Amino acid sequence: MLKPKTSTNEVETVFTNAVAVISVDEENSAFASLSASLAEIRKLKGVIGYILRGNTSAIIDLAAPDKIIEYAFLSSQMHDSSQEITKQFNLGETESILVEGKNVKVLCMSIGENKISVFMEKSATHAWIIKRILL
Amino acid sequence: MTEAYSTALQTIIDEFKNISPEITNTFIFKKNGEIVANNETTTENQIKKLIAAFNSIADQAETIGGIENLTIQGANSQLNITSMNNRHLATVSSRAADQKIVKTLTRVLVPTVVKLVDQIAPELSENELPQTTKLEDKPFEEIMLPVEEPSHNESIPDASASFSSEPLLPEPPVNQFMIEKIGGLLVSADTVRVDSEVIAKWNDLYGDKQITQVHIETLEGKTTTCKFKPIKEKNCNAKGIIQIPEKILQALQTSKGKLVMVKPVIT
Repeated sequence: MLKPKTSTNEVETVFTNAVAVISVDEENSAFASLSASLAEIRKLKGVIGYILRGNTSAIIDLAAPDKIIEYAFLSSQMHDSSQEITKQFNLGETESILVEGKNVKVLCMSIGENKISVFMEKSATHAWIIKRILL
Repeated sequence: MTEAYSTALQTIIDEFKNISPEITNTFIFKKNGEIVANNETTTENQIKKLIAAFNSIADQAETIGGIENLTIQGANSQLNITSMNNRHLATVSSRAADQKIVKTLTRVLVPTVVKLVDQIAPELSENELPQTTKLEDKPFEEIMLPVEEPSHNESIPDASASFSSEPLLPEPPVNQFMIEKIGGLLVSADTVRVDSEVIAKWNDLYGDKQITQVHIETLEGKTTTCKFKPIKEKNCNAKGIIQIPEKILQALQTSKGKLVMVKPVIT
């Protein structure tokens, strides 16, 4: 389940053209760096949007506002369930999780305390996105 | 899921290790928890936990059209789950594995085989109920018997063998004779003497077959097999007569004037 961490002192929510961006406390530098990278990735062809969750902050940028909740649940579940699978099969520290659906694929990564989910069309190159995030 | 279908999938996944030794775990499961095939390196508990975790993701993944493929890249190994016709192929391989081979196996080869098998023999995978009923109705041996005795492959050589090397022979004719005791210094104790006309008929009947012995049976059921010769006397009195020495009479527990059934021994 999605459990967005929120800061009580700084909450900013911006709705632009079909894009919902929720930003909460941007003190974490890694979080800021990742949000900048994701903003760049978001411009790539085939990328539908992303969710970035830190300890005290979250950014959701999705082209389809009606799918925000469903995508947020899926993202959260991918992060949680992959931990159990990784533990069971001794895969080592999780680097990436990729779920491919009929038309859309979701790439999840954990960078420190920050959890990233990038939603894209199946034709998009997720390997490049992984490299870009790890830069 | 029939046993035949599971066995086919099991055979395929057993080959994974031969093709790519870096693939450590391979198994096929259904969302309901059924394990279709497993390469034995994975415990049931591991599979159960994976199915539970997979189902949790799959429930949420409806929004993207369900899960066609799931990959978890770990620092040491990677896990891949490929969905194929309500079945899911899971593989765990080390990061050193050739990704082209792993992808070819998990995302092309096995799904294609499963799709083909489903198309060619749908009764194997889904419409298994009638087959299962048949298997339960009949004992295992009854089902296997026709397989072990292919009709045309074995019957043809048998037939040709019997016609070429072992021509069909007529049943030995049974003749009834009256016993006449025979004795003397020149009489062999283990040989009976039979009407020569009867012997001639036997020779006609069996052509080149050499007949050296006869089978004698009394009306009481006592039997013996012994050598025979034609009766020397060429008179009408020899007809319907068998001359038997004392020793054989004793063996048959019979005596002069009694009737016996005699037939040639064909070897």
